[in-house]
Amino acid sequence: MNTLLNLLVAAALAGTPLLLGTLGEILTEKSGNINLGVEGMMFMGAIAGLAAPFVYEQWALKVESAPVGWIGAFLALMASFLAGALGALIYGFLTITLRANQNVTGLTLTIFGTGVGNFFGEYLGSRAGGYVALGDEMKSAFANLSIPGLSQIPVIGKLLFQYNWVVYFAIALALLMNHFFKRTRVGLNLRAVGEDPAAADAAGIHVSRYKYMATVIGGGVCGIGGMYMSMVTTSCVWVHNCVSGYGWLAVALVIFAAWSPARALLAALIFGGLTVLRLYLRIPGMPMQIYEMFPFIATILVLIVTSIRQSRENVQPKSCGFNYFREER
Amino acid sequence: MKRKVIGVLLSVAMVASLLTGCGGNQDSGSADNAQTTDESSATEEDEAQGEEEAGTVGIAKEDLKVGFVHIGDPSDMGYTYNHDQGTKKMQEAIGLTDDQIVNKFNTPEDAECDTALRELVDAGCNIIFGTSFGFEDYMLEVAKEYPDVQFCHSTGYQAASSGLDNMHNYFTSIYQARYLSGIAAGKKTESNKLGYVAAFPYAEVISGFTSFYLGAKSVNPDVTMEIQYTNSWNDPKKEAEVAQALIDNGCDVISQHSDSTAPATTAEKNGVWQAGYNADAISAAPKASLVSACIDWSIYLTEAVQAVIDGEEIPADWCQGLSEDGSQDAVYLSPLNTDIIAEGTQEAIDEATEKIRTGELKVFAGPLKGVSPEGEEYEVKEGEHFPEQEEASAPSWSYIVDGCTVVE
Repeated sequence: MNTLLNLLVAAALAGTPLLLGTLGEILTEKSGNINLGVEGMMFMGAIAGLAAPFVYEQWALKVESAPVGWIGAFLALMASFLAGALGALIYGFLTITLRANQNVTGLTLTIFGTGVGNFFGEYLGSRAGGYVALGDEMKSAFANLSIPGLSQIPVIGKLLFQYNWVVYFAIALALLMNHFFKRTRVGLNLRAVGEDPAAADAAGIHVSRYKYMATVIGGGVCGIGGMYMSMVTTSCVWVHNCVSGYGWLAVALVIFAAWSPARALLAALIFGGLTVLRLYLRIPGMPMQIYEMFPFIATILVLIVTSIRQSRENVQPKSCGFNYFREER
Repeated sequence: MKRKVIGVLLSVAMVASLLTGCGGNQDSGSADNAQTTDESSATEEDEAQGEEEAGTVGIAKEDLKVGFVHIGDPSDMGYTYNHDQGTKKMQEAIGLTDDQIVNKFNTPEDAECDTALRELVDAGCNIIFGTSFGFEDYMLEVAKEYPDVQFCHSTGYQAASSGLDNMHNYFTSIYQARYLSGIAAGKKTESNKLGYVAAFPYAEVISGFTSFYLGAKSVNPDVTMEIQYTNSWNDPKKEAEVAQALIDNGCDVISQHSDSTAPATTAEKNGVWQAGYNADAISAAPKASLVSACIDWSIYLTEAVQAVIDGEEIPADWCQGLSEDGSQDAVYLSPLNTDIIAEGTQEAIDEATEKIRTGELKVFAGPLKGVSPEGEEYEVKEGEHFPEQEEASAPSWSYIVDGCTVVE
């Protein structure tokens, strides 16, 4: 029982960066752009999310005032969003305005973002004399919450009410996005753009504007996922290659979640659980390499199942991967 | 059409900026662009001189170039950081300039290592150090091709048997320092359960955690230890996850044989303690880090580089631990975190240190029983001890002793 509880908590923590990356990519793909640069945008978000509170902390120490945790956390959130959005903007400009190949541009963005993250991480580290580590105020801003009353409830308190704030932020975002796609005019318009941009254009929807907004905001959300890696997973210390493939897992998770933000919640929990499964639940004689394959085997299974079912609702938006060129309509 | 041209140009710009980014990444952080160009123009001269002077005559200090292949970079605040500190001390002791040291950071244990080694040879290095276990095979290959260049590999075991005069292994008796850090952990633990984030099921790692456990047991007979592998030398995400799982299983002092600070910060987050490896983790986790077992690489690096300058031979196997008079300690403990250590820790460590120095205390002393991961049993009898690192530089104790549970 206790092991199961610990596994669920660890799964939620491991699943959060995946969830954010997935939500960002879902938003992007709903506009008909498939951005394979999630890993790169997460790296950019990771370094920006660490650098902003770091610079703030240095400044606060200089003017001899105590750095305030929540300001640092807010700066981290904003900076990582902007960094991810900047990466997505490069991608958007190349694919939407210049109609470059989406796959190639996305892959390039991955390599680009990885380089940017590690380069500036090391640059900051060598400037700080060894490595970047934030002080206690920032660490506690990203520590597990303790909500009086709620966190102390046995089992439920631990299961639901003691995560760091980014976890709740990610869950709220998923629910909000679900509502946005299903219930709002703008969301429905966006889905129309992703399914058939020509039809949407004919209906008077500004296709390029929608694509840009979705791609850039989606990139920003991926950036926040990267911030989670540098601020929560490695506890405010820059570690070389800290995103280490989570961006790619997020891309796989989009398929697993069948392009639905609500299902992404569950999918991220399962994926997170599968990545830490071997630490909590052991099947005797099973090599750990097999455990590490689980998330990917699950993705393949979902792909097979969805292709058999041939549902029109739970598939990739139809125009994904194709650039829209008005004159070719 | 125009748009396509712009598109192509932008992609090219993106790729170009990326390549320069990577370049900066690979080279030593302190070398700026001006130095890099200097280096390349100096390379050819160096090579010519290297060929003339190689062999027994030695190499003038000013013409010497020293190369390093590292698996990580100093930002890990662990293994690579510590090795780099050793490089800096060696550089100072011998009096080399910055551009006589060429570092290759973040080199994975695959074909990229081969490339990095060849680049160092091309850059005119006379002696090349490889610091990660998996580099050894690549170094052997390159060493065969360049007999005039000295190759020194830490943690490896194949130099003596390879028959190559220019291939050498080096390591330190870190198990002694781990034993001492285990004392701090054994004194501190309240749940009597230690956790160990281990990289790979290799002898180097098993020898390390066994000595840590034996140190803890020497002051706390009831203590047990759980070990989990990450299957990676440096994967902060996994190290944090493994540390968390150990803590969830009831461990309240975490130690590690992995490169990053993640186990320390995870321990701090959960309000438990940590004993580190290689670098003082107190600045990363002031509320958790008790002490760290450290290696002073500068002793070997200085010896080996000096040998190249003097034209002397470098031993095929080099290993040193705590020295008798304490002046040449290749391993040591970082300062104890006096705010959180248990009472009497300092005294217990001092006593054990003294006994190790005089040879009275052997870490792997009998009676001691263990089982290797392959199921082979091994026993050290009362009054005897296992000759750890006495015959070869690489650790060879690879048996799990009673009280240690490997969970995989």
